[in-house]
Amino acid sequence: MRSTWARSEPMDTSFQLAAEWYDGRSALRHAGELHWDGHAGLVLHAPTAHAEFAVDDLQFADTRPRQIIYRRKSQPDFRLILPADMPPGLAARLPRPSTYGRWIDRLGLGRAAAIFAVTSAAAVALFLTAPAWLGPRIPAGWERQIGDALIGDFGGRICHTPAGDAALAKLLAKVDPADNAQDKVRAGIANMDMANAVALPGGQVLLFDGLVQQAESPEELAGVLGHEVGHVRERHVMTALLRQFGMSILLAGADSGVTNGVFGLAAMGYSRDAEREADEYARARMAESAISPLGAADFFARMADERSDSEDGPAVLGWLASHPSAGERAQAYRAAARTAPAYPPVLSDAEFAALKSMCADDPDVAEFDFF
Amino acid sequence: MLDGSHHAYSADSAFTFEGNWQDFARIALPNLLLTIVTLGIYRFWATARERRYLWSRTRFVDEHLEWAGTGMELFAGFVIVLVLFGVPYFGVSFVSQALIARGYEALGSALGVAALLSIFYLGGVARFRALRYRLSRTRWRGIRGGSDSKGFAFGLSYMWKTAVGWLPLGLLLPWSMTSLWNERWSKMSFGPFAFRSDGEAGGVFARFLLFYLAPFVLFVGGVIMAGMGMLAGYGIGGENGVALGGLVGLIGLVLFFYLGLGLIAVAFYAKFYREMVGATRWRDLRFSFEASTLDWVKLLLGDALLVVFTLGIGLVFLSYRHWKFFMTHLEASGEILLDELTQSRTRTAGHGEGLLDAFDMGAI
Repeated sequence: MRSTWARSEPMDTSFQLAAEWYDGRSALRHAGELHWDGHAGLVLHAPTAHAEFAVDDLQFADTRPRQIIYRRKSQPDFRLILPADMPPGLAARLPRPSTYGRWIDRLGLGRAAAIFAVTSAAAVALFLTAPAWLGPRIPAGWERQIGDALIGDFGGRICHTPAGDAALAKLLAKVDPADNAQDKVRAGIANMDMANAVALPGGQVLLFDGLVQQAESPEELAGVLGHEVGHVRERHVMTALLRQFGMSILLAGADSGVTNGVFGLAAMGYSRDAEREADEYARARMAESAISPLGAADFFARMADERSDSEDGPAVLGWLASHPSAGERAQAYRAAARTAPAYPPVLSDAEFAALKSMCADDPDVAEFDFF
Repeated sequence: MLDGSHHAYSADSAFTFEGNWQDFARIALPNLLLTIVTLGIYRFWATARERRYLWSRTRFVDEHLEWAGTGMELFAGFVIVLVLFGVPYFGVSFVSQALIARGYEALGSALGVAALLSIFYLGGVARFRALRYRLSRTRWRGIRGGSDSKGFAFGLSYMWKTAVGWLPLGLLLPWSMTSLWNERWSKMSFGPFAFRSDGEAGGVFARFLLFYLAPFVLFVGGVIMAGMGMLAGYGIGGENGVALGGLVGLIGLVLFFYLGLGLIAVAFYAKFYREMVGATRWRDLRFSFEASTLDWVKLLLGDALLVVFTLGIGLVFLSYRHWKFFMTHLEASGEILLDELTQSRTRTAGHGEGLLDAFDMGAI
């Protein structure tokens, strides 16, 4: 059906125009005239209805081809349909049609887009760098609480024998010089057959039994333990945790919730710089405690053989990998060795053997199953 | 028609879409830009703008629809869901993993399962509330729709009916789908009058059986194809030819399988919508939806080609294409008494379809 004002008489004043409206109470359409007194008052008159209200009562609702629709603040269901080409005096008094939303309409599309883009880039930069500067500033006490909440006692999967515990404590004391017991890194050997070691939130370091079995000397273990203690002391763990937390927020939709947790923590990576810092920390502590770095050098040399990346391997690969190349690390440890005097052994043969047999000898330890 | 006391029609389509893609592009492309530079936050306002355009270019009988929803309320819905459900869900999965790490695998897993079950339930509630939200923001002649139910009961129905539907090898899925459609629409209203829906699973069951027959038909067909390929290959190049011919046959089989299954799904949904829209009534109005399987295939192929050939930018036009498809094929017949069509008295939620948004689903 044709719109009503198309059939109405030509307007004789600029203060009167054809209008259609719905009162919001029923679906009946009212067609008549809108009278504007030139100030704040509006009168709608039709054979079927009559309404008076203030211009300020109107709110923009919608646009259609050649029409603008308003509602009334006092009656949100009310709909007034006016032609888009209304007298300029009235148009200036009515609320302006909204296009993109209030902020963007005020700024203009181009300027708003530019401002948003800059703000978003800053937010992204902040989000990406936050772990690096926020991590070290989180109090160690908080980290310990987070760690305890996440890991607890690791479900009884940590091996204990009196002799083994003593040997581990002795090894730890040499690479972690903290005096008071509360700040001390807690180290354990986990009953898990993997050649790996992790630093967990809350100053907890785990060597996996697979790694202990593979070690050919206590100096190797001292190197690995010192490296993990370095991650704890340099606050890399909190940084990595925050980074993973950020990732899990970003991937919230894709994450099933089962995949992260302990195994996610074990797999969480440190930056290459963090690995280098942890290595430097380990070498400094080993130098202080007169532990030969050659054991750690042997360990990384063996890793390099296994991964078939050698000391002469392309540097690009080493740079790309999250860890510095094992060959490069072996070299750094070897270079740190002094020529004289000779290093005393870090543990006696009996102590080293106690570490090796710790998991086999502990009758209470739980098997490390994934489920 | 100005007094609007009585209105009957039959000749033209009750629903007419008068938009064009050039006008829509002037909305969708700036939306895309703003959504990108706000890291996605603008998408709520973008959605509201798109709907205002699509609704206002859609005529029902003699008056255009109006979308009265705002971007701000969609955003509010999203934030509410994040706080009410996202944070607790995050907490529960955290506790569940901490329990598993401590060796309480059973308890931890049970908690994880409970979290998944609650997501299942909320998925049902979300489907209900999305439809309620859309009806409550859709206006025609100043009148809106809505529902007196908040959808919590529907969430329970959704859970058990869907579970029962899957149990006997999925055989009862047509029943659960039709039953849930009836239940959901029968709780909706427009103005003072409720919708009613009494679709029956029998109408769509034959189409649904295609899912079960298809693998056999396709498998037998595929074996024949592979065999013929091998024979042809043998004819051309002896032993090596057999392997090559068999491989070509196998690739053909896999393609055939996926395309065939997709086609069956489209055929089923085409029939489902025809049946269910046809079984839905409002006062004296009867609805019908006349899109054939071929229409759906054309729509989806068009979607795919549009997205591929515009390197993804065409994605922003899909809502336009789908709305136009929907409105082109939707019909209504019957009588509306305008003076008895008074305003809806249902309560409206002040926030948008946040729940559905969070689960990323469509309303219908």
